[in-house]
Amino acid sequence: MKTHIHPAARMYAREVTKGQMSRREFLGRATALGVSASAAYGLIGTSFPARAQPVPRMGGTLRIQMNCLELKDPRIYDWSEMSAVSRGVIEYLVEVQRDGTLRPMLLESWAANDDATEYTLNVRRGVNWNDGTPFTAEDVAANIIGWCDESVEGNSMAARMASLISDGQAAEGTVEIVDSHTVKVKPRTPDGTLMFGMADYPAAIVPKDRIGEALTDHGIGTGAYMIEELKVGERIVMVKNPDHTYWGEAWLDRVEFLDYGTDPSAWLAGADADEFDMTFEMVSDFIDIFTSIGWVESEVGTSVTVVIRPNREAEVNGIRPYADVRVRRALALAVDNAVPLELGISGRGQQSNNNYHVAPGVHPDHAEIAPHEKNVEEARRLMNEAGMMEFEHELVSIDDDYRKNTTDAVAAQLRDAGFKVKRTVMPGSTFWNDWTKYPFSSTNWNHRETGIQTLNLAYRSTAAWNETGFRSAEFDALLDQATAIADSETRKAIMARLEQMMVDEGIAIIPYFRSLYRHYKPGLVGAQMHPKFEINIHHLGWA
Amino acid sequence: MALFILRRLGVMVLTALCMTLIVFALTNLPPNLEKLAKTQAGTRITDDEVHSWLERNGYSAPILRRYGEWLGVVPASVATDAAGNVVGGRCLRGVRSTSIERVPRYCGVLQGEWGYSTKFRVPVSDLVTERLARTGVLMFWAFATMVPLALIFGVLAGMREGSVTDRTLSTISIASTSTPEYVSGVVFVVVFASSAVGLKWFTGSAKSAVNGITFENFTLPVATIALYGMGYIARMTRASMAEVMTAQYIRTARLKGVKFRDIVLRHALRNALIAPFTIVMLQFPWLLTGVVIVEALFVYPGFGDALVQGAQNNDIDLLLAVSVVAVVVVLVTQLISDIGYALLNPRIRVS
Amino acid sequence: MEQLSWTGALGPWLNPAIGAAVLAFGIAAIAHMFVALLTAGQRLQHAPGTAARHSPLAYRLTRGGLSLALGALVVVALAYLVGGILLPPDQKGIIGYLSTRFLPVWIALGLTFALSFAFRRRLGLYGHLFDNPVGMIGLGLVLFWVFTAVFAEMIVTFDPVRDVLPGMKNRAPGTPLANPAQGQFDHYLLGGDMLARDVFSRMVAGARVVLAIAPAATLFAFMVGIVLGLPAGYLGGRFDSILSFAANLVMAFPVILLFFLLVTPEIVEMGVPAYMAAVLFLFPIIFLVILWNARYRTHPMRRNILVGLTFLIGGWLYLGLAWDADPLGLISIPDGVLIVFVSVVFVNSPTVFRIVRGLTLDIRTRDYVAAAQTRGEGAWYIMLWEILPNARGPLLVDFCLRIGYTTILLGTLGFFGLGLPPDSPDWGSSINAGRGLLQVFPFPPLVPAVAIMSLVLGLNLLADGLREESLKD
Repeated sequence: MKTHIHPAARMYAREVTKGQMSRREFLGRATALGVSASAAYGLIGTSFPARAQPVPRMGGTLRIQMNCLELKDPRIYDWSEMSAVSRGVIEYLVEVQRDGTLRPMLLESWAANDDATEYTLNVRRGVNWNDGTPFTAEDVAANIIGWCDESVEGNSMAARMASLISDGQAAEGTVEIVDSHTVKVKPRTPDGTLMFGMADYPAAIVPKDRIGEALTDHGIGTGAYMIEELKVGERIVMVKNPDHTYWGEAWLDRVEFLDYGTDPSAWLAGADADEFDMTFEMVSDFIDIFTSIGWVESEVGTSVTVVIRPNREAEVNGIRPYADVRVRRALALAVDNAVPLELGISGRGQQSNNNYHVAPGVHPDHAEIAPHEKNVEEARRLMNEAGMMEFEHELVSIDDDYRKNTTDAVAAQLRDAGFKVKRTVMPGSTFWNDWTKYPFSSTNWNHRETGIQTLNLAYRSTAAWNETGFRSAEFDALLDQATAIADSETRKAIMARLEQMMVDEGIAIIPYFRSLYRHYKPGLVGAQMHPKFEINIHHLGWA
Repeated sequence: MALFILRRLGVMVLTALCMTLIVFALTNLPPNLEKLAKTQAGTRITDDEVHSWLERNGYSAPILRRYGEWLGVVPASVATDAAGNVVGGRCLRGVRSTSIERVPRYCGVLQGEWGYSTKFRVPVSDLVTERLARTGVLMFWAFATMVPLALIFGVLAGMREGSVTDRTLSTISIASTSTPEYVSGVVFVVVFASSAVGLKWFTGSAKSAVNGITFENFTLPVATIALYGMGYIARMTRASMAEVMTAQYIRTARLKGVKFRDIVLRHALRNALIAPFTIVMLQFPWLLTGVVIVEALFVYPGFGDALVQGAQNNDIDLLLAVSVVAVVVVLVTQLISDIGYALLNPRIRVS
Repeated sequence: MEQLSWTGALGPWLNPAIGAAVLAFGIAAIAHMFVALLTAGQRLQHAPGTAARHSPLAYRLTRGGLSLALGALVVVALAYLVGGILLPPDQKGIIGYLSTRFLPVWIALGLTFALSFAFRRRLGLYGHLFDNPVGMIGLGLVLFWVFTAVFAEMIVTFDPVRDVLPGMKNRAPGTPLANPAQGQFDHYLLGGDMLARDVFSRMVAGARVVLAIAPAATLFAFMVGIVLGLPAGYLGGRFDSILSFAANLVMAFPVILLFFLLVTPEIVEMGVPAYMAAVLFLFPIIFLVILWNARYRTHPMRRNILVGLTFLIGGWLYLGLAWDADPLGLISIPDGVLIVFVSVVFVNSPTVFRIVRGLTLDIRTRDYVAAAQTRGEGAWYIMLWEILPNARGPLLVDFCLRIGYTTILLGTLGFFGLGLPPDSPDWGSSINAGRGLLQVFPFPPLVPAVAIMSLVLGLNLLADGLREESLKD
């Protein structure tokens, strides 16, 4: 059995990344808490010393267990698995590291003015596309403009670039080519989160005349690899491109992605058969099993969570059961968030402070407010007052290990409080069709670097992904204020008010924030779990 | 005889037509088309985006018309944008954008085009051929293990009804049919493949069997299928054998003092194997279901896996091809079983 | 409270005893095998059935030894169960507790067997089962699960769905509760599952779910198959051709694809399964009405009463089950269950149709049918009251086999996430939920797996017994 990393060590680690604690002091304190030195180094990111992270040797083959999906126009990527493949060919302007900091890739550097309304992007020099043409500011500008095109179905970059868009396109003058290697981006409203958007997995940079095409249509990129074989649902093989001089370093000669489906017991069978060296992600009880058979376990704390939310606009049999704040509050009060944490994800994560969507200790702009307490009497009182004691809640979830179990655990507690609950589970292929419209359902939310990004994405009245039906002008106004503040520390004051509003509105049950895990064989370098599941095969190699 | 086969072929075509029409109707229900759009253009797209995607990719024509397009009797519609450029349509799936003159008018089954798999991103015919070949290999080994074993079990048991051998073998057969594949497969993996608690004789994943079958990677899937199927054939063989053994000519042979071994081998066996032959042939379509479970369990990308993936992603063209294959397999095995029954049994004539 | 052992206070005596019995059985079996091989030549000269009497001494000796060892094994196993019930609670082991919980089942089983055995000569085919050891074992297994389903509420130790006890997730069998409430049972007898629910209670409650769905679905499939198959076989012609074609069509569908197409939420949204239910659930009513009408055409009074009753009760059930519109609000069937139920009926019906049609084709050439025809009986009377009763043997056998097949099919559906609602305690869902972690926590999936296997085994043995006995008729 592995021991869990002490939460205090994580707190210290974040102080280190913020520069509030020296590395030496951190290592001392963390090891004193029983965290092994290598785990302590892991906590403070991958860019650290050669001692913890040896330089890989050149060459070798790596086999990765991962769902092999088709590659589409990068803007409409909806799974990070797609980017894990294409990242070997088409790269990104910047990259988020495990600790949430950004590192320049196709940019040499960037700078923003004080109120986050003008960004200067310095494009990396000496980078060529693998067809021999040079990579320039024109490519960058064309890509940014392409991201802003809302007429492309499923273009999720548009939401991330919202501050550049008017009338469904990039607004006049927001993207400006200064010279062959400088681009200026001028958001119409202050936007402190723009660079994080550019680091997200749909933001891959393609040649300026290839925008809208899938990588498999042209194969042109700046990366060191090319796709040798791509069989959706089976395997994808990447090999080093022999005709291309890569601007950076790449170690491995060959990378194979192998599809084992979504059932972790099949992953285990594959590992037992020695068919791959690294997993995309490891879940639930299989984490301990993989560790016990000698694989290296890598953990990262994130803001990944499951939101069990009522939708106040949804109608059930002619009424809107969740329009009443008392009903929503009653649901939240009936649940002890420690139980879904234990039963849903075996305690692998941290319990939320209260039912709002900002992760303490992960999001730099998290503000501390009063914690959540289970109170069944109060819950029953509110539900009675609302006259909804006899109402049968249909709680929908996807048919998948932890999300199903978490939702089941919540359902069980609601039943304990005397509420009637019926569970419905849908297969993944159909669940997402109407995911924002279910009256009462659970949704998993991925990690974002700051709390304000998630709130903008999911709880603004106009947000496409608003699944709670929560539409409040006051909340939107506060969001505007908070978004304009580039510094996380200063943003906290407004964040506290946003968080409290979410709790008082009974917006959802947000029980925990998950840690994510990945396993790989000893000797593999650079394979640690990333909060956004990112795999960059350029960084991987054998020691 | 030729007429008989011809008529059966006609029935087969008719069945395939009905079946594909049903599958087509079910997979083209509005919510299913919405599901398709969402798996293609992004899981979280809006209703308007779904609508325009369907419009653009040729899924908005009336259902019978599109069935005709699939069959190849109706020219396929091509969607164009405001500027008159072709943007999508049945004949354009899986093809990079091209000019309107170069788009074929028909691209249906009659033209030999089985369509394009939206899930696997390859022409359906390529995918189905490759997957069928893999499943064929699995089936071959499953049959090669199951049938001889089942026949030996059945003959030995039926030879002397009520003996200890009979009781033991019958119990084993019944127990094996009572063990569903999703139980035996999982237990096999834990016992024989797990490195934590198991023997580690075989591998619990057949993924590497795609690149070459080995004893390690193929034993467990084959054993899982064979175990469940064996019992049934063995019991049928036993019943048939037992019946033959009580027949008049066997009794006569015994009274004449023919050696028991000769009675069994020379006289009883041939007649006792007629019934099991039909059973074995009829097992083919049934095995298809078993194969789906086993392929999912052992991560073997065969025909069953394609079926499940196609159904989960509403891959219309793939599902249509799958159902055609299913009809052909079922009816051809029925045909062979009928003809074979007649050939083996001189008292029956094919009519 | 401490961890329970499997055998409790009986262990020190019975464990060595069962070890000895197993050893004896093993030795006897091997010895018998050798002797049987060595003496094969001598024995094979004789006709079957006479072998035992004319066998060499050694053969008879080892065979007797084998029976004796088997008997000893059964006696020791019984001692565990009976002893477990008799022991005081603090000395019981897990087996003892289990045996005690199953007390209502033992009593019911004992009574049924005693009564049936006593009156077996008057009970027709069912009575004949008691002359057939295989059939008796099968019947015992099936009845065990039937009674478990009936008495489930008395047997369970916890609520199978709602009791999610903190700290009991994936715990081993016999784990005591941390702090049991007053009157609460204080152990998880067969451990906890991945959601900290009691595996034993879920297994028992699962029997109720499985035995409610599988036999009922099979029965409905038989109603459909009989109502359509009898006239198809008896009348033939175009009616037969069309129905046979339709049946072949459904049978050519790969079952899994059919289920994917029927059970996905999209199709359910469109109401397809509800319409299918509306059609399929009509068949039992049609069947009964035709049945009464054919039989009592000459007694209008009696016929009217029976037909009226059928319409009243059947219609009431029909409204509740198919349309969820029971005017009294008593009968309803949850959405998820209805879909699965309808699909299973739909898949099974064509096979039953084929069997019934085949039997009818065979029987309609018999003398008694011709006699009825000359008597001027109606077509339906002949089909239902002459042909059907004479086809009952093979149909009964197929019915048993088909329940087992349906039980396995339900689990297959659970395997692909298409089955019953996820917190349903049915065996298929439980196996599927626990199978991934079998090597670490074996009990949550193994307990329902053993249950499903023993039930299907029982049904198969019962079918075998029935077949043998009905052939003797």
